[in-house]
Amino acid sequence: MEKARISGLQLFMLMTGFLLGSRLIINPATEAKNDGWIAILISGAGGAILLTLYTSISLLNPSRTLVDILRHQFGKSLGNIIALFYIWYFIHLASLVFRNFGSFLVTTTYPRTPMEIIIAFFALTIIYAVNSGIEVMGRLSEILVPIVPVSSIIIGLSVVTTHDFTAFLPVLENGIKPVIKASLNLLSFPFGEAIVFLTIFPYLNKKKSLKKITALSVLLVTGLFLYIFFRNIIVLESNFIDQATFVPHVTSVLFPGINLEPLFDVIMIIGGGIKIISTIYAAVMNLNQLIGAANYRKFTTCIVMFSVVLSIWVYENIFEVFHWAGNIWFYYSIPFQIVIPVILLILSLVKKGRSQNEGT
Amino acid sequence: MKISKLAFVFLLSLLMVGCWDNTDLVDINIVTGLGIDKDEDGKIVVTVQIVEPAAVHLTSSSQAGSGGSSQTKPVYVMSYKGETIYDALISMKAIVDKRLFLSTNQILILGERFCKDGIDEALDFLHRNYQSEYRADVLVARGTKPEEILKIQPDMDAIPAMYIKGTAENTVIRAKVEQKKLIELFKEIKNEAKQITIGQITKVDDKTVKTEGIAVFRDGKLVGWLDQYQTRGYLFVTDKVDNTVISIQIPNGKIALEIKQSNAKREVKFKNGKPERLSIDIRLEGNIGEYIGKEILSSPDDIYKIEKMLSQAVKKEVTMALEKTQKDYSSDIFGFGELVHKYHPQYWKKAAKQWNDIFSQLPTDVKVDAKIRRSGLIKSPMKKDD
Repeated sequence: MEKARISGLQLFMLMTGFLLGSRLIINPATEAKNDGWIAILISGAGGAILLTLYTSISLLNPSRTLVDILRHQFGKSLGNIIALFYIWYFIHLASLVFRNFGSFLVTTTYPRTPMEIIIAFFALTIIYAVNSGIEVMGRLSEILVPIVPVSSIIIGLSVVTTHDFTAFLPVLENGIKPVIKASLNLLSFPFGEAIVFLTIFPYLNKKKSLKKITALSVLLVTGLFLYIFFRNIIVLESNFIDQATFVPHVTSVLFPGINLEPLFDVIMIIGGGIKIISTIYAAVMNLNQLIGAANYRKFTTCIVMFSVVLSIWVYENIFEVFHWAGNIWFYYSIPFQIVIPVILLILSLVKKGRSQNEGT
Repeated sequence: MKISKLAFVFLLSLLMVGCWDNTDLVDINIVTGLGIDKDEDGKIVVTVQIVEPAAVHLTSSSQAGSGGSSQTKPVYVMSYKGETIYDALISMKAIVDKRLFLSTNQILILGERFCKDGIDEALDFLHRNYQSEYRADVLVARGTKPEEILKIQPDMDAIPAMYIKGTAENTVIRAKVEQKKLIELFKEIKNEAKQITIGQITKVDDKTVKTEGIAVFRDGKLVGWLDQYQTRGYLFVTDKVDNTVISIQIPNGKIALEIKQSNAKREVKFKNGKPERLSIDIRLEGNIGEYIGKEILSSPDDIYKIEKMLSQAVKKEVTMALEKTQKDYSSDIFGFGELVHKYHPQYWKKAAKQWNDIFSQLPTDVKVDAKIRRSGLIKSPMKKDD
């Protein structure tokens, strides 16, 4: 572990940026069409439960990072194996975000620039940020993340003048099934991915406010998702939303007079950037602890390189990206996001109970 | 050491701004107008209107009086055939020298034959391509080909596309044509509960075009036209009238009323789970813009009379539009289907496929409530007192 501390505000910003991430570019809950708002509410509630789970684990194992917790609860060898899987999961997650990011910029803003170049330059910045340590990452998000909700809200306000406010009707036209599917999807991406933060929680200077911070962050993110959903559906109508590749980009094109595309690119770069930084940091720190090396910075470059290459190799085309993100990612994530954390919580509770009994 | 590092970062930031493929203005052809039509064999004919920026400047300065004898034309119009729109655009390089830059496109003119064959799937390219300008105005050429429209040489503007766009845009003060952006057209194409309408454009002579009336589609295929008054009726119903002028006949003359504001409420009345009638409630406000007549307007009663006549006039236009679309075209361009979809989803599931036929059979209730607020700078008509 680094000898560093981040403030409550910094953790809040880091977390909000992480949760917003690339979801601002890929419309939240597209599968549910005009019932997306129900899906967002469900997943917001689910997200709050998941994050309570993660924070409880962290609070029951104070100042331990993920690897420490796993080793402590599962024993050294089994803990190490599970930790390896987690590291792989984080790298995979980072590569998914890299690829989303690259495809978005190549499709909309830089159609003739090779995607590899865009991702590579982005990766250089990521390496620099991760090597600067958690305190710098905290300060970075403190400055940058507020831009994301503020500009999203401004963009929304400037479209409300005209357009159809009843676009979300009729409610539940295609039944509850697509809504459930969309909400599970949104639950695992982004809320469940906050498992990454088990590595970052121990750096918080005031442990007491941890639950409050995460709850506020989930609330803000759910609110923003709702806001963005209504903005997009009011401007574009439900038929259009499931057709566009990157929905908010189409919304931005519709603005009379000015070109707002760069603003969306900025949102994407901040959200995606914070998300990749946190994920890579978690992967690097855990790998470092697993091996027991003195300086985690040695691993940053190779892990970033690895996930960049993975992001380019793993998907042949954009449909695979969406298929993965929409259909497979959720099932793939269940053990990492739900099963192992629940076991961890139970084990932690049992251990705590036992030690308390012994104490009295 | 530190300075060299800083210098390196500074240099990098200078080098890395901008795009991968910088293309200078002189290396691209700026497209301002796009025309799409089909020929007799079913091949796509794409027409582009290309602007020569330097020549535009020359033309405008010669118009100002300084004069330039050896001026080139400000725009070129090129057509090419292909299997698809994209194919035709790329193959067009055979007769065009530089890269076609589509993002500056101002208008898209669709040909009659192209529209009759259906535009549902055919416009995919314009939706998919990143260079496509979603805010371009779409118009259907009536009685002529898109290339004929794009070839006009108006005196009012050096670039014909800008002139055409201007006439389509000023529908906000006359409400005789529907201005449809490409993105709105895409939304309508995807929307099964509302049929497509696009403004129509006709050629008057080599210098002038006219944008008046709309083209009516059914299931993506062009089925007919509405004239300027029916179009206004349609715009009243769909709540798209901002300003317009309506002339009404009075016993001893004529009055032109300027409409300042209009709000419409549409509703599909249901009875026993089935649609029973279409109700339209229009409220509008206007002023007296012109009065050619003898009677003096003095009391509120005079105004009430005129209000009644105005309501009748608007009602007539709305009824004309409704009758034409119900009887002749059987196409729900007003979007009543959307209301059924939103508020009666169960019924819509069964009826969606035959909605246009159901729509054509429904009786209509049109209610117009017109208010006249002001009379301009003078109260009474221009005439000598008897």
